[in-house]
Amino acid sequence: MKISIRKAIAAGSAVALTAALLSVAGTSSATAASASPVTGGTLEFYTNGEQFANLDPQRNYTGQHLAFTSAYFMRTLVSYTPTAGKDGFTLIPDLATNTGVPSNKAKTWKYTLRDGVTWEDGSAVTCEDLKYGMSRTFATELFVEGPAYPIQWLDIPGSGGESSYKGPYVKTGQDLYDKAVTCSGNTITYNLKKSVPDFNYYMTYQASGPVKKSKDTGDKYDLHPLATGPYKISKYEINDEFVLVRNPEWNKSSDFRTPYPDKIVVTFNVAEDLRDEITLKDSKPNAVNLDGLAPANNIKAMEDPKMADRRWNLFDPYVSYVTANNAPGHLDCLLVRKAIFFAYPAQALIDLNGGTKYYGEPGDGIIKPNLGLDYAPTTGNIHDKNYKIEGNPEYAKQLLNDAKKVCPATVKRVTDPKKGISYYRTDTATSKKVATIVGDGLKKAGLVVNVSYKPSGTWNANLEKYKTETDLFGSGWGPDWANASTVVPEMWGQGCCNYTSNMKATGAQAASYKLFISNVNKALNELDRNKQASMWKKLNQFGMDQYWYVYTAFTKTQDYWGSKVGGVDFWDPQGTWIFGNLYVKK
Amino acid sequence: MSKFLEVENLNVSFPTEDGLVQATNEVSYSVGLGETLAIVGESGSGKSVSNLAVMGLHNAGSTNISGHAWLDLPSGRVDLISAKPEELRALRGKEMAMIFQDPMSALHPFFTVGKQIAEAWHLHNTGSKRAGLARAVEMLDLVGIPDASKRVNDFPHQFSGGMRQRVMIAMSLINNPSLLIADEPTTALDVTVQSQILQLIKDLQKEFNMAVIMITHDLGVVAEVADRVCVMYAGKIVETGGIDDIFYQSVHPYTRGLLASLPRLEQSSLGHRLLAIPGTPPSLINLPNGCSFAPRCAFAEHVGSGLCTSTTPKLELKREDQWARCHLGASDVSRISQLQIGATING
Amino acid sequence: MFNFVVRRVIYTLILLILVSISVFYIFDWIPVDAARLICSKQCTPALVEANRIRLGLDVPVLEQWWRFMQGLFLGRDYGQGAAAFHCPAPAFGYTFTRHQCVTELIAKTFPVTLSLALGAFFLWMVVGVSLGILAAKNRGKFLDKASTVFVLVGTSLPTFLTGVLIIIFVVLKFNLIDPLQIGNWANPFTDPVGWLKAFFFPSLTLAIAYAATYTRFTRSNVLETASEDYIRTARAKGLSEKVILRKHVLRAALAPLVTMAGLDFSGLLGGAIITEKIFGLDGLGSLSVKAVFQTYDLPIIVATTIIASAFVVFMNLIVDIAYAYIDPRVRIK
Repeated sequence: MKISIRKAIAAGSAVALTAALLSVAGTSSATAASASPVTGGTLEFYTNGEQFANLDPQRNYTGQHLAFTSAYFMRTLVSYTPTAGKDGFTLIPDLATNTGVPSNKAKTWKYTLRDGVTWEDGSAVTCEDLKYGMSRTFATELFVEGPAYPIQWLDIPGSGGESSYKGPYVKTGQDLYDKAVTCSGNTITYNLKKSVPDFNYYMTYQASGPVKKSKDTGDKYDLHPLATGPYKISKYEINDEFVLVRNPEWNKSSDFRTPYPDKIVVTFNVAEDLRDEITLKDSKPNAVNLDGLAPANNIKAMEDPKMADRRWNLFDPYVSYVTANNAPGHLDCLLVRKAIFFAYPAQALIDLNGGTKYYGEPGDGIIKPNLGLDYAPTTGNIHDKNYKIEGNPEYAKQLLNDAKKVCPATVKRVTDPKKGISYYRTDTATSKKVATIVGDGLKKAGLVVNVSYKPSGTWNANLEKYKTETDLFGSGWGPDWANASTVVPEMWGQGCCNYTSNMKATGAQAASYKLFISNVNKALNELDRNKQASMWKKLNQFGMDQYWYVYTAFTKTQDYWGSKVGGVDFWDPQGTWIFGNLYVKK
Repeated sequence: MSKFLEVENLNVSFPTEDGLVQATNEVSYSVGLGETLAIVGESGSGKSVSNLAVMGLHNAGSTNISGHAWLDLPSGRVDLISAKPEELRALRGKEMAMIFQDPMSALHPFFTVGKQIAEAWHLHNTGSKRAGLARAVEMLDLVGIPDASKRVNDFPHQFSGGMRQRVMIAMSLINNPSLLIADEPTTALDVTVQSQILQLIKDLQKEFNMAVIMITHDLGVVAEVADRVCVMYAGKIVETGGIDDIFYQSVHPYTRGLLASLPRLEQSSLGHRLLAIPGTPPSLINLPNGCSFAPRCAFAEHVGSGLCTSTTPKLELKREDQWARCHLGASDVSRISQLQIGATING
Repeated sequence: MFNFVVRRVIYTLILLILVSISVFYIFDWIPVDAARLICSKQCTPALVEANRIRLGLDVPVLEQWWRFMQGLFLGRDYGQGAAAFHCPAPAFGYTFTRHQCVTELIAKTFPVTLSLALGAFFLWMVVGVSLGILAAKNRGKFLDKASTVFVLVGTSLPTFLTGVLIIIFVVLKFNLIDPLQIGNWANPFTDPVGWLKAFFFPSLTLAIAYAATYTRFTRSNVLETASEDYIRTARAKGLSEKVILRKHVLRAALAPLVTMAGLDFSGLLGGAIITEKIFGLDGLGSLSVKAVFQTYDLPIIVATTIIASAFVVFMNLIVDIAYAYIDPRVRIK
């Protein structure tokens, strides 16, 4: 789950960073890049944010920043194709000569560095630099922000997220790491403790990228990571400005990238009013708004026909959901969960956030169409003839009636005014509005919602506990890369943080759940990508048939840029611009 | 021969929201060098107000003053009432000085007594700071502050009440003024300290040959220091005369009332009670016709045809050098009062 | 006087220790787990614990405080092994979000806050005190009535409104100043004009409300003092009205202002959040607010809280000593 900086800021607090909203791929491209790109000029970006969350490769976990850094100045072994549409998901070699050679059932991955790849200081990027870079993901005494998959994957002993290797600074267990990752000339070999068929997708992450040991400044490396791409940092002042200039040491023949602007400037700390004004008035035609607009201005800008070619409104990578706790004693009855699903007032909830036009639409699973290969429309749920977007209490009542025969105790509880369905929410004003809508909607079907408002300040600290106590729980998710392997197992599988995995189910359900888990693990290890995709589709269907989620929404994003910005394309795997394609029109 | 200070027909009034407060009404008195005039009266009788007018210490904007106050200076007679503020200011502290009732609040809490005393000297003399301070020490010594050269650097709050009043006296006399107005200088002090301060004023008067006006409500103080006495009531002088005349043969019933309220050792025998004057002084706004004291006066009924309530009495010569503002004659009063005292005792 | 100062200094040091300890206890007590907030997707207990250690929250509160104090005097080391680094004394902590010693951040933002506070302080003292004196001198006249209107308007206008009004009129309507120059830091010693342009209007915004309060306070104090007996004494000495006002009245009337002004000023040194926000100034106030609301950057929050409270405590000391100097009655206790 890459983090969406935008949504975190919109939510107004860092709490949102960990709580929810995550990232994956968008659907389609907005505008076709018709004219041919122009080289030269200064391309600008502006944001209300104070700084990049992290530029240090081993700490960067923000979709937009990953796309930005890899497009301009920090190369990784493998990249996504800088193309709009489904082709964007295709991996292409970047620092490496190919997208990776798996062997030993994808437990061993080999990459060979290209010739002529250099650091901004002119020295060659070496295998040791790659090895050193990844070793930094183990240095949890300094870095906790990034995607630390290597800790789970590399063939180094450890448990519970803790590794026997303590990173390159403390050096405890260095020999273990040196065995797991080996260099032979320009070829690097990663030895994993389990099959990871999509290991090569992780290689698109900066966290897998190289760091030159002699230039590593620890925590401060975040302020000036060494460039390998066509640009390099000439200025980075938090709260002020970030400037990229052309990197003279970059070797065109070693790269697929074609740099257009001479200079790239990011202005931080632009007041929200000013930011919106710049966008609405097009007062900086060569600049891109990194944040989006405040809600009121967003609708204004979306309805303004003059802005038609300076905006897009696309599905973002996220799925927003409300999950039903199916543990015994909670919503352990399929028909009850289904009744809640059909009674759910989706339309009112979507309207609260800006309507189907700009907020999003009810979804039919946890895999979004953006994910391409892994998506197929499910059956049942929103495609059922009885589904109504505003809620169908009559049908829900019918389902409850049927449920009385199967699980009378559960039905009794969820319709008992003194007990009801427990629903934990934070105690913010917006959160209370949502709770009221849900309560009123389900009431029409005779269901009772018993909301407990929890202090937002302690929400995160108590999250794990809350998840086991409440019946309904809302959150959001998005994949780390273009594979449902970072969705289905995380949502419903073993290594998950969502409580549907707490399957203490008994009887007939127990067997089918166990089968589900083993199928998830099979899919994770499947080396044939097409086969794997069809497995994810089936698993998605199973979860939806179980009505583990009583509501899902596929959300949208709106973005804006100036009239002189050309080459605007949506990069589905990153859910943002294909930064490398942007140029400044003459 | 004119006296050093002659106050003539002094009227002081304050406009207020309720009406004009006539604080003094046609007040006249005089005091010569080496002489002590006591002005006696209850609070609000106008005794302080008239002297603040003499000093020019009233707020010019909110006070109406008319009449004259002649100061007989070697350079010629000056009318303090019509003098320009700057002229008056030059005289204050130099020719005339004033000390006040509460010596604690009358001294600035933030400055040493030496500074405050020297400031008065520097105003009317030229000299170095050191000279000013030396003069201050000299004065402190003169008023009987022990260890004056050290204490000159102390702050007012480090002195006792009596000592503070000595400091005030030292400050007011540093320029050898010819007129000292002492406004209830002992009221806030312990009884034992009171007489010391009075004695000090008397001694210094002799030394500097000053005219002293002693404002007080305490007849005991009057008896101790005064040569002449003015009794004031409701903004007017009701009786004036020599000290003996006032104490032993006062004419005005108010003066007699004041004297009767005074405890006396020789009257300590049983049957003699202190006599309070019944009633309260009138409001100074819209004084009624007739004698202001009439409503409280036990003698008014003895005066024929309601004269006391209809006609305002004039200040008349009742005996030699003794004037009173009363419709009764000098002999009437003593006769009637004998009757009354008898009645009180029997009743 | 010497004993008095020594005593006050000792009290102040004790108070500072207690205040700083309570700051640590408060942040320990509030139900926000900083270690968890920065945690990413793979938020395993091991990673949360690692972050806790990184933030120095793994030790008892008193030890956290002790380490902070040591850092203040001796500097402090962060990280381990080859990546260890040092924040020199006085070290207020290290932020892993902004990759800087907190002291550097404070050194950068404090001049802004100080400029704003000094500018505002100067404006409101000059305007408030002189207007108060003038109003008292002209009691009941036009100037006094005009000052009453100013006091009413000034005290009832909230800072965010005056700030916005100033921006609307000064910048947008009359174009008196380039908006980019407002709040843009300039060194007052090398570029005094730039500094004035940067801070005049923000300071003015902040000063208006204070000036109104000080006008009212000064006016009533001067009037009250002017009716004191010792002022009559001064007049009886023959002092001129000018000297009486300047030397005798103001000395006593303005003494209480020292306390008030000192505390108000020290309060601003912790950062004027609203004004800084309106004019986009990067002062201590903005630093704290952003640290709280954007990233919950605990080391910054702790440092700015302690600094702000230390300013108040220190200013109390200075005010006490200054007051003792002004009013001799305070010295003897």
